[in-house]
Amino acid sequence: MITTQKYLRATTVGEAISLAREHDHSFRYLAGGTDVMVNKYQGNDESPVLIDISGLAELKNILATETRLVIGSLTTLHDLVANPLVNLHFPILAEAAASIAAPVIRKTATLGGNLLCENRCSYYNQSEWWRASAGRCLKCNGTVCLATGGGKKCFSKFVSDSAVALIALGASIEIYDGSQELKLPLEEIYSGDGVNSRSLSPTAIITAINVPLKVGAKAVYKKLRKRESLDFTSLTTTVYLDSQGKTRIVLGGVHAKPVVVDGDISGGVEELIRQTVSGSHLVDNDTYSKEYRREMITVLLNRSFQELTS
Amino acid sequence: MRPLTLKINGKLYHLMVGDHEMLARVIREKAGLTGTKVGCEQGSCGACTVLVDDKAVLSCITPAMRCDNTEITTIEALAVEGKLHKLQERFVEKGAVQCGFCTPGMVMTALSMAPTLENAGDPALLMRKVKEGLSGNLCRCTGYKKVIEAVAEYVTESRLSEKNTNYSAPVAKVPTGAVGRPRPYIDAEKKVKGAAAYADDIVSKNALQCKFLRSVHSHALITAIDFQEALQLPGVHYIATGRELPVKFGVLPISQDETAMAVEKTRYAGEIVAAVAADTEEIAVAACRLIKVKYQPIRAFLTIDDSLNDAGEDERIHNHGKFNNNIHKKAELRFGDQQQGLKDAEVTTRMVFEFDGVSHGFTEPHAATAYWDENGLTIITATQVPHYLHRALAKVMEVPLSRVRVIKPYLGGGFGGKSDPFAHEVIVAHLARKTGRTVRIRLTREEVFLTNHGRHPSRMTVEMGISRDGTMQVLDADVAIDGGAYGSFGVVTSYYNGVLLQAPYRLDNFGFRTYRVYTNKPQCGAMRGHGAVNSRFAVESLIDDLAQRIGMDPCMLRLRNFLDSNTFTVGHYRITSNGSRESLEKVMQRSRWRERIGKMEKGRGLGVACGFFISGSALPIIWNELPQSVVHLKLDFDGRVVITSGSSDIGQGSDTMLAIIVSEVLGIGMDKIFVLTADTLLTPVDFGSYSSRVTFMAGNAAKDAAENLKREIIEALVKKYYAMPEELNFVGDRVFSNDKTVDLDWGEAVDILTAGRGAVSVSGKYISPKLGGDFKGAGAGLSPSYSFGACIAEVAVDPETGYVKVTNIWGAHDCGKAINPLAVEGQLEGSWHMGTGQAISEQMKYYKGLLFNNSFLEYKIPTSLDTPEIHASIIETIDPEGPFGAKEAGEGAIHPVIPAIANAVYNAVGVRITSLPIQAEDILSKLKEKKMSSEKSQPS
Repeated sequence: MITTQKYLRATTVGEAISLAREHDHSFRYLAGGTDVMVNKYQGNDESPVLIDISGLAELKNILATETRLVIGSLTTLHDLVANPLVNLHFPILAEAAASIAAPVIRKTATLGGNLLCENRCSYYNQSEWWRASAGRCLKCNGTVCLATGGGKKCFSKFVSDSAVALIALGASIEIYDGSQELKLPLEEIYSGDGVNSRSLSPTAIITAINVPLKVGAKAVYKKLRKRESLDFTSLTTTVYLDSQGKTRIVLGGVHAKPVVVDGDISGGVEELIRQTVSGSHLVDNDTYSKEYRREMITVLLNRSFQELTS
Repeated sequence: MRPLTLKINGKLYHLMVGDHEMLARVIREKAGLTGTKVGCEQGSCGACTVLVDDKAVLSCITPAMRCDNTEITTIEALAVEGKLHKLQERFVEKGAVQCGFCTPGMVMTALSMAPTLENAGDPALLMRKVKEGLSGNLCRCTGYKKVIEAVAEYVTESRLSEKNTNYSAPVAKVPTGAVGRPRPYIDAEKKVKGAAAYADDIVSKNALQCKFLRSVHSHALITAIDFQEALQLPGVHYIATGRELPVKFGVLPISQDETAMAVEKTRYAGEIVAAVAADTEEIAVAACRLIKVKYQPIRAFLTIDDSLNDAGEDERIHNHGKFNNNIHKKAELRFGDQQQGLKDAEVTTRMVFEFDGVSHGFTEPHAATAYWDENGLTIITATQVPHYLHRALAKVMEVPLSRVRVIKPYLGGGFGGKSDPFAHEVIVAHLARKTGRTVRIRLTREEVFLTNHGRHPSRMTVEMGISRDGTMQVLDADVAIDGGAYGSFGVVTSYYNGVLLQAPYRLDNFGFRTYRVYTNKPQCGAMRGHGAVNSRFAVESLIDDLAQRIGMDPCMLRLRNFLDSNTFTVGHYRITSNGSRESLEKVMQRSRWRERIGKMEKGRGLGVACGFFISGSALPIIWNELPQSVVHLKLDFDGRVVITSGSSDIGQGSDTMLAIIVSEVLGIGMDKIFVLTADTLLTPVDFGSYSSRVTFMAGNAAKDAAENLKREIIEALVKKYYAMPEELNFVGDRVFSNDKTVDLDWGEAVDILTAGRGAVSVSGKYISPKLGGDFKGAGAGLSPSYSFGACIAEVAVDPETGYVKVTNIWGAHDCGKAINPLAVEGQLEGSWHMGTGQAISEQMKYYKGLLFNNSFLEYKIPTSLDTPEIHASIIETIDPEGPFGAKEAGEGAIHPVIPAIANAVYNAVGVRITSLPIQAEDILSKLKEKKMSSEKSQPS
């Protein structure tokens, strides 16, 4: 049962932030809302105030400069998939966006929203009744992790597929918090703590995503899931390779944050893949077993490198 | 609440809306537009799709407040001046509408994507794009095939059409109803317009809303319930607990082991402990939170082994069994001599199989509305079995049968999951009596999963032996099934796991033993293909293995062993028509089996399996002398024939089937026929939609009734004219003699019939012949007729990831005679879709008795992209006792598809699947084992 007491709509970024400050810690921004509303339905998000920012037209543009593509954070995933600039410069970003949820959801869900999509776990994405019956886990104010049978640290799964692609492409984000504009590499907002998985000021808004244009670079995106539509990821991989042989590997679905490994393929990829596997922290919180997902990291990465180098 | 103005379908609605309310509920409950359906409330099924400013959105997760100043379009806007939109027309015409619950969402999604597809280029690309576009809209009936066809055709047509109009010129409709002619359901238009009212669409003034408090323990004594604080909450009218409803019920007379709410103890996590009736759903939820229950948890029995073993000092789940364990039922039958058979067989194989439970996954959640008036209790509810619910309600409410009326409105899919009397139905009846008000309930998707009654998790050891020439010698099955907390259909399920293995092959030495155990989990029951789906999987896997061992083509091995037509099985089943051979030969031909088997590229494979099923149980569930089905026809001065029948159309098209049969017998158009079904006050008893009985039994009753009506007309005409009764023809809305001395249109014939007499009512019935042996258990699986079929599946297996993609299903099913081939195809395609789900992705996973995957996001029903290309063939064998030769088509087809897929996996990568669903993990580990053993056996 959704318990929102107040629904507010902002028309500018400034207005959104001042509304947020007014309601301090009791609010939630609503972009597309396809993730937030489900979490609210399940009682995982009980913030009484919703500040709807989906109408902020200023955050919906995609434009190319000489060095980068600037994507407004409220661009819907549907528009991202269809955008010619995105498809021209970063086909894997379009591919990643197209692999998220289902077509109708992508018409509402936004890129910014997907970057901030709540981490997931089989023991957390449940109704209030279910969580009360199971005994609450760390992510819902309990004292132990149920997925590991008693762990003290939460490794809820990081599931933003678009972030995996964007981090591989070296994207940075622009954040506005009322007074200052901040620009930082996307990966830096993910804390690695499954309970509070983002280190962003709650009132801050991601306004844009910058993706640097690089000649001669290639990337391969892969996603493991049970069904070909609808499903959140069980493992997402992106491998980026530039013309000098520099590579970046990014994984989603295997840790509370994206796993990022930078390197060079001149010494072979085996060691890089090994590093990636050891950087992941899998727990049994997914429809596939953690052993299987760990094994698949190597399979998908090997395939990606083969595709990139053949 | 605050005022909100919504513009829906061009009309302004000034409404009071809460900030927490979602658009779907506001459209449905405040604007009264119930064409938009709510299937999951979590954005995972697509049923609630509407357009907001021409963009498709999921209205169940869209805050209503967001839609201020927008233009909302719902399904109701599409048909204009009674004329269907062309997209709707294609849905109707192609048979894309079955239960119709997902249809409005499908249509709205398709409508929004159509303009983007007009440049999709070649037809294959277009089909792919349509599949992609629909992949967030779950459908459980159609297997998507006809939906995809309808949308693709609409897109192609709009591309070609010069005039940009979405409405066709009215065409005179040819009245068709003849048996064997494909036609849409008679209610398809109503469903595609969003005008058909399902259980949650029934609006009642001032109804109270019901919500349940559910147990948080799997097995616990209830030591105290305090609801005083909850009762004080303004808007709360009544709170009921288990002690008020102590009378036990259950669908089978031998398993009356369930109460509406937990009394004294709770037997599964999720069992209803208290029920609140309040002014609004929000108040009812708030009240549930204030109820304090004290539990004393006791040992929970969660696995088959827990429950087979002696319970020791621990309290059993039920205390009615003879022994100190949790075994609910043991069923055993033996024919011939299995020990000798195993000795005599030249080649034997034995495997252990495991199956997770699966859910029906119907898109319409359970919902019911109950009230009491001068006629006693009326309940409008999504049920497959109005008759059994009628009996159960009378029993639990302790009122005479004559004080209960059960009405089934349009129903959004059942597949066996709505074929029991349910706790929530009993509870709303009770609350309505206590409050004197109308009380409504609709379950959340999670509650639907907790209500369960799905396929039993099972474990079985099955052994089979053949001679080297491929003759089957012996089959022995040892089965254990996990029934959950209550009985439901479980005793029948126990028998079906065994007895339904005695065909389609001749087996002289055959036996089985099944244990059904109680566990502290939501109860299992009947699901499409009831009881025998898992054991069929086992047997067809063993046959595949045996074929391999003796070096015989698995199709040839099966062809060698089929039972004949007009014969008996070892367990005394009377086989009449039998299309096994034709079915298998048909799928071999269509899949090009002979050309392709053994020559596939690496990782690809073909697999085959066969199956059979009952066309209705010959014995009633509750022993009595009533016919299995009675149909009444009334013909009045207006020339319209009104069919009344207690049968339940649950989306499978049985209302249409009745109309076609009556139309065929009387030679009149469908426009002269009106069907009224499933209202226990107005319609004569039919036992309901289970055991694939409706076409055979209600169809036969309808045919009998129509023939009786025809006889009445003939008698009236013969009195007036000099004509030989046998020379009167009923064709094309006319009645005429061979020499045309009598030549009347229908209206004239009706005038003669009704003169001096008025409306004429006739009755028809179906009573199954006496069948079967005289041993205990002989009645299980007896049917007046059996359906047969075969499937060949093609798969691609990724040997590195273990991922299985089912690419093609060629299926053939002997339904005797397809009364409506479009509907039969739809049943077959839906069965093969559902079977694909059980094979590759569906499973109910538990954590300490709690169902993990209780949503449409986590319970993996195949989407349109995961469903293979389905190639259906209807085989007609004209059964001697079926209406016009018809047999069942709704359930049997699911049997062969699952083992066909597993056998195809074996063919592709050489690993034998013995547990369902097929897991990538399992395939990989078996591939590794195989590699290791082959490396060992080949020294380098």
